[in-house]
Amino acid sequence: MADFPSSSDSRTGARVAVVAAGIVSPLGFGLDETLRSLRDGKDCVTPVTAFPVDRCRCKTAGQVANGPLAEANRFNAHPERLHRVARMMILAMKQALDQAGDFQPELTVVGTTSGGMTFGEQYYRGLTANGGSNGHAPTLIANYTPQKPVMDAQEAFGIGAPCQIIANACASGTNAIGHALNCVRSGRYQRVLTGGYDAISELVFVGFDSLQAATPERCRPFDRERTGLVLGEGAAIIALENFESAQKRGATILAEIIGYGISTDNFHLTQPNPSGIGPRQAMEGALKSAGIQASEIDYINAHGTATQFNDASEGKAIAELFNGVPVSSTKGMMGHSLGAAGAIEAVISLLALQHQLLPPNINFREGDAGLPLNIVANESRSGAVRTVLSNSFGFGGTNASVILRSAAA
Amino acid sequence: MSLRIAGMGWVTPLGSGVEEVWQRLLNGETAVAESLSSPLGRDYPVFRVPASALAKAPAHPRLRRSSAISRFAAIAGVEALANANLKLDADTAKRTALIFAISNGGVIYTKRFYHDIVESGAQAASPLLFPETVFNAPASHLAAMLGITGASYTLVGDGAVGTLALKMAEDLMADDAFDYCLVVGAEEADWLLCDAYRKWRLLRAAPPIEPFQEPPRGTILSEGAGAVLISREGPIRIEKISGGTNFQKQREASNAVEKVFAELCAAPPNLVAASANGTFIDGAEQKAIQKHSPNGRVYTVKAALGESVGASSLWQTIAAVQALLAQQLPRAAGIPVLESAVISTCGLNQQVAGLRLSVASK
Repeated sequence: MADFPSSSDSRTGARVAVVAAGIVSPLGFGLDETLRSLRDGKDCVTPVTAFPVDRCRCKTAGQVANGPLAEANRFNAHPERLHRVARMMILAMKQALDQAGDFQPELTVVGTTSGGMTFGEQYYRGLTANGGSNGHAPTLIANYTPQKPVMDAQEAFGIGAPCQIIANACASGTNAIGHALNCVRSGRYQRVLTGGYDAISELVFVGFDSLQAATPERCRPFDRERTGLVLGEGAAIIALENFESAQKRGATILAEIIGYGISTDNFHLTQPNPSGIGPRQAMEGALKSAGIQASEIDYINAHGTATQFNDASEGKAIAELFNGVPVSSTKGMMGHSLGAAGAIEAVISLLALQHQLLPPNINFREGDAGLPLNIVANESRSGAVRTVLSNSFGFGGTNASVILRSAAA
Repeated sequence: MSLRIAGMGWVTPLGSGVEEVWQRLLNGETAVAESLSSPLGRDYPVFRVPASALAKAPAHPRLRRSSAISRFAAIAGVEALANANLKLDADTAKRTALIFAISNGGVIYTKRFYHDIVESGAQAASPLLFPETVFNAPASHLAAMLGITGASYTLVGDGAVGTLALKMAEDLMADDAFDYCLVVGAEEADWLLCDAYRKWRLLRAAPPIEPFQEPPRGTILSEGAGAVLISREGPIRIEKISGGTNFQKQREASNAVEKVFAELCAAPPNLVAASANGTFIDGAEQKAIQKHSPNGRVYTVKAALGESVGASSLWQTIAAVQALLAQQLPRAAGIPVLESAVISTCGLNQQVAGLRLSVASK
């Protein structure tokens, strides 16, 4: 086996280019629609209709429009079997592959928390309602598993790369991108597809509601009177390539990913350590991996779920590490899409770099006392954005941060 | 960079502890099926971990409310570290990554949580159960028990996911920030899974599992955990890990398996640790074995321990390591010298991967 350079150090590893990105989220389908929504600070949270929420505190979520998802059906011989989130994956992957040119990945690394959960729900409801005979059971079972939407998307475009499906709760998408970065940086891979996906499901929606982590009001990240998160859904795919290889073949380089940090906070299964040590270690790890100082970060796309615990812990860590860097959580606009969040927010960070845009943190009124954060409040702003840090933290104490840098920097 | 297997832990329906389970396999023992009753009136045979094995679970607050899957993982993970004489302190824990392989995850609590919603409405959903339904809950518990504060990943997939986790470990260990990677695969059994696999036409009504029979007659689900500690020193060398490929239809599995064998069998191995389990997998593997290792020994640990899905690749790996170290195979006498083994892992839902091991030179 050949020796490879350290994959966690930008000084010894290969440079890693982002050569394409695809996104399906409540903000829109594709980079252009997403950019417009970000510029407008569009509130895409709507009442949930997919399942009954009358007995939940929270009744809203960021939801992907079903109509345009039908476009994915033409990429599968049996579209009736596709899970809704597989359609999101297919369309996000198509967008990315259309941009990427001659791009055959050697590996696909994707994050999710709940795979095709609604098929599992249908299966169980069928069992209990029909005394054990649920007619479409094999289809539901085969398409329920977390790897399946990724397989469906790969099959649609003739990709046979092995799939690593990371389920690190709400950090999954960022963990997937970070691991993919290290795979290319180490020289072991030239091209890797990465990203994340998740769809709204009753089980997960009720779960967050039962924890009283979901809000019956508006989602207000970092607001002093925040009352919790709203859920979201979507899929995002990013194509990573060895920088030199991408240059050599004339690929358009949208940005570089230059740093990744991961930490595990063993404080509690669902709550972060209030000291902020988990997020802090992840962000410090990403800075070290990128070989840059905190002062070089121009914008932070925060995890910012609007729960009391997350925003206090993350806000503390950001305030300690960074001096007045513009911060926003985009979850107020689109909800928290769990395993997709890190991937979607990496694409949002990419758009921030490309368009010199600071995406807004909507529904913000006043921050926590004693927490000096420079929140991009309510309206998008333009600014000089060369380097962006994006955070994702999850149940189980997983914390992950990635750093993207402008291709022109 | 040369990676080695430095320690292992095993929790199975034949008990827990690598030496104990291996000895029972050498003695020709096979797990005894228990009957799991579903509330829908059907019984399913399952190979379950005996209560005596669970008694070995470490006392830790994180395990108080956890499901069986977390306990299996804890026992196996702790054994793998002890097996390698590795005690994690704050420094070594930072340089140790944890990768968890899982397929169905915490199905018992997930089913209970959703059952309450279906039966009584959303207001009845338990906030105590929900966190345990998350795929990475067992990994979180194990990381907390071991004090791992750096990299922790949970990978989800089918029966090949354990090998994909080993591949991920190899990728992580390319980074000199890590000295060790603990790879743990775990699964817990429940009637709901049995019902699903039966409807998927993969389950057999009663034991035994009969690998490589034509036509395939189905498998029996089991539960437990396997743990493998990857290091740069140790008695078993990881020669190559194939991240594998995917197949769309069951009839295409043989091409995918063949591709993995071609990658791993530049020279024929002495032993193939197969994933054959009484399903379509068997035929796919048989073709590849005939082509790439026609004279090698073939061992299928699932015949004795059942199909543990997320844990199964690691069980196969542990069995192959034991065979290489002990130069013995269950139910086999007069075997040739075993210098190398290929572990073939074909899952039931589209994923295929494999790895090749050899005895490390002293």
